Amino acid sequence: MTALPTPSQTTRRLPLGVVGRVSVLLGALAGVMLASPRQLPWVAALAALLLLLTFRYPSLARLLHPRRLLFLALLALPPLFFLGARDRALGPLPYSSQGLTAALQITLRFVVALMAVEGFASTVEISELAGLFEALGLKGLGFSLGVAFNLLPALQESSRVTWQALRMRGGLRRQKRRAAVYLLTTIFASALRRAEEIALAAEARAFSPERARPWPLTLRPADKWAAAGVLAGLLLLLLGR
Amino acid sequence: MKFTTRELVLIAVFGALWGAVEITLGSVLKSLHVPFSGVILASIALLILLIARLFVPKRGSTLFVGVVALLLKLFSLGGVIIGPMVAILAEALLAEMTLSGLGVSQASFMLAAALGLVWSLAQPFITGPLLYGRALVDVWVGVIHKSAQALGLSPESVGLAAGLIILIYLAAGAFTGWLAWRLGARLRARNALQRA
Repeated sequence: MTALPTPSQTTRRLPLGVVGRVSVLLGALAGVMLASPRQLPWVAALAALLLLLTFRYPSLARLLHPRRLLFLALLALPPLFFLGARDRALGPLPYSSQGLTAALQITLRFVVALMAVEGFASTVEISELAGLFEALGLKGLGFSLGVAFNLLPALQESSRVTWQALRMRGGLRRQKRRAAVYLLTTIFASALRRAEEIALAAEARAFSPERARPWPLTLRPADKWAAAGVLAGLLLLLLGR
Repeated sequence: MKFTTRELVLIAVFGALWGAVEITLGSVLKSLHVPFSGVILASIALLILLIARLFVPKRGSTLFVGVVALLLKLFSLGGVIIGPMVAILAEALLAEMTLSGLGVSQASFMLAAALGLVWSLAQPFITGPLLYGRALVDVWVGVIHKSAQALGLSPESVGLAAGLIILIYLAAGAFTGWLAWRLGARLRARNALQRA
């Protein structure tokens, strides 16, 4: 039985490869960072549209996680009371109009940055990014990343077992400093033992980073246009400041 | 940057250790709003990063470990947050530049860790205005000014307090570097013994 596609999967996206998507991500972030207050509403709207056309998004609930909203509130609310003179009032609460403008600008920038990074992480495959980094000179990153991903659960488990063994022996109550050193030494030693085993297994199979097949780098014809468009857009933005 | 199979595996292991710390401990500390969680995480990250350099003493290896940890964090569960990802890359870059420039020694370890920890303190004040606009700086100055007024403190004493905090971070970083050097030496000796 095949799973039904989610609404985001059925929506068509711009046919971009990893280079095009990275260009859109960086372009959106740079755009809102470089835009002057006058340009910001237009740039943010354009960036949001481009991001929606390029990336798939998880549910709105995930995007608007309470922790993120709290962070936004911590960024956007103080200007209302601490920037400029409090020349307006909302009921009994005085606030500054200059602060309100700054708060709106912060919110716009925050929303675009959140959309850019969350959309990028939800759409781009880790293998595509590994391929891009390898093409940029980090040879062997794909192999390292594969090993790291497979090792994560084992390392977490061995760290947990070490912690519990030390705690059950009362090592954390007495001689705390020494216990911390034992904990770190054991975790690192266990990780190094695993590294030795994996290296031996890879060498036994005659694996060599030079001869290994590079991770695929998906390039699409539209990537060049996306990169050029983003660059031209940023240039126009700087000229129009 | 060319690494052997063994070096790539070591990079993967240290990157995975850092990633595991960021994903598990990082998420817990951030969710519980533990004070100074950034310092705790940065100290552990720098410890891992510096010990990794002892095991893979080549230019670029520290940055490589950082990229592995960054990608693990980017694709981990629990949502994407820009701050920790910028921190991972910046700490790896600072450590790489220090160790490549000064060579691997106890002093360079202490300096790299101190710079990394000071970065964790300074990061919001650098990336905040860059990402969300310069109005944030005016707000922070206003908050500090009004808080100092409310507490009856002079501007000089505010500067002094900031200097003291930076000094504490520098000292904590130097201690992390020293610990990484000692722990790394112990692990290398133990590893050599096992291989013999």
